[in-house]
Amino acid sequence: MTEDDKVGRRVREIIGEMCPLGEREARSTDRVTDDLGYDSVGIVELAMVLEQEFELQPIDEEQAIDIVTVGDVEELVRLATAAA
Amino acid sequence: MTTATATTADDLDAIGDIPATADERATRLPTPLDLYSRWERQPWSVADVRVARDLDTWRALRPFSRQELLNALAELEVGEVCVTQTLSSLVDHAPNPDYQLYLCTQLADEARHVRFFQSYLGEVVGIGDGSAEGQALAEATDYATVFEPELRRTTEAVRTGGGDLDQWFTALAHYHLVTEGILATTALRTTRQLAKRLGLAALDEGLANVTRDESRHVAFGLLAARAGVRDGHRELIADAYLSAVALAVEVLVGPQRKTAAPSLRPALLQRAAQIETQWELARDRMIRQLSLIDLRDLRDRAERVWADARSAALDSYQERWGVEHPVRRAEGITARAKAKLEAERD
Ligand SMILES: [Fe+2]
Ligand SMILES: [Fe+2]
Repeated sequence: MTEDDKVGRRVREIIGEMCPLGEREARSTDRVTDDLGYDSVGIVELAMVLEQEFELQPIDEEQAIDIVTVGDVEELVRLATAAA
Repeated sequence: MTTATATTADDLDAIGDIPATADERATRLPTPLDLYSRWERQPWSVADVRVARDLDTWRALRPFSRQELLNALAELEVGEVCVTQTLSSLVDHAPNPDYQLYLCTQLADEARHVRFFQSYLGEVVGIGDGSAEGQALAEATDYATVFEPELRRTTEAVRTGGGDLDQWFTALAHYHLVTEGILATTALRTTRQLAKRLGLAALDEGLANVTRDESRHVAFGLLAARAGVRDGHRELIADAYLSAVALAVEVLVGPQRKTAAPSLRPALLQRAAQIETQWELARDRMIRQLSLIDLRDLRDRAERVWADARSAALDSYQERWGVEHPVRRAEGITARAKAKLEAERD
C-alpha cells in the first residue's frame, strides 16, 4: 500500500468515526455535508482532529481546495502532509 | 414545579401583549408590574434540571467542543456572580416603587442563575466552586477583566451618590442594557445552540430557563432606559451606553483567551463564520435596543464605536498572542481570493 493510500484510508476512518449521524463507513465519493451530516461544528472538530493526527502544516493558499466530498478531505490532508 | 413554557429562539421578540398597530407592536414594552406577573408565572428550580444527567455526554465530547463550552460557561458564570453582587444598589435606589418591586424579583433570579452555573460546573464539568481551577477559570474570562470593574464602579457610584438618578441610569446602561441585553443574551443563545447540537439536554433546559428570566430583565432595562431618555437623561444614557458597548465588544472578541481554530482553510473559514455570526447577533441587538429606547439617531455613532472597538480588540489579540485572530485570518484569505479573481478577470 502506498503512503497516499494509507493517508486516504485513515482519513476515511476518522471521518466515519466522527460522523454526526453516527459512526459509519465513509467512502471517498460521500459528500461530507449532504451525505454524512457534517455541520460547521462537525467540520471544525474534524479539522482539529486531522491536524493533530497528521501533524498538518498550513498549506499554500494557492493549493487550498474546497471540501465537498470525503475525497476532497483526503486530498487536502495529502497536500498538507506534503507541506510538512 | 417546572414551567411548561418553551423558550423560543429569542424571547426578546415576545415582550409585551399584542398591541394594535405594527408600529406599536414593534416598540411596545411591558410595564414593571407586567414583568412582576410574568415572574410569578414562570418559576423554575435548579434542582429540577438535574444537571448530572449530562455527565456521560460531557465526558464523550471532543476537545474542541468541550473547550468552547467551558469558555462560554465560565464567562456566563462570572457574569452571573457579578450581577448578583451588584444589583442591590439599583434596587435600593430605584426611582419608583414599581421598579423596586420588579427588581426584587430579579435579585432572586440572578441568585438562581449563579446556582445553576455553579452546579453545572461542579457536577458535570468537575470544577468545584472555590476550587483553584474554578478561580483560575473565572479570572481568565474577558468579562472579569474588561467589564466587571466598570459594572462594579457604576453600581457602587449609585450607592455612594445616594441614588442620584444620573448615576442610576449610568449603572442601568452597563447592567441591563449591555451586560444582559447584549452580552448575556448573545452568549446564552449561542451556548444553547451548541448544547442542543451536542446533545446536552440538562444544559439546554437550564439555559432555556435562564434565557426566559433574562428576557424579563432585558425588557426592564429597555422600559426603564426609554423612560429615562424621555425624561431628560438622554445625553447621559447615550454616553454611558456607548462606553459600555465599547467594552462589550472587547469582551466578545476576547483578546485574553486564545481562540482555537483549525488551520485547514475550509475549516478555518467555517470557524471564523461561527464567531462572526455571534458578533453580528450582538451588534443587531445593539441596533434594536437603540430603536426601542428612542435613541435611533445614535445608530451611526454606535456603529462606529462598534467597528473601532472590534478592530482595537483584534489588534490586542494579535499583540498578545503573536498571531492573527481567526476572524482576521479568514478576512485576509477572503480578500486575497477576491483580489485574485478580479486580477484574473482583467
Ligand atoms: Fe442572570
Ligand atoms: Fe439577568
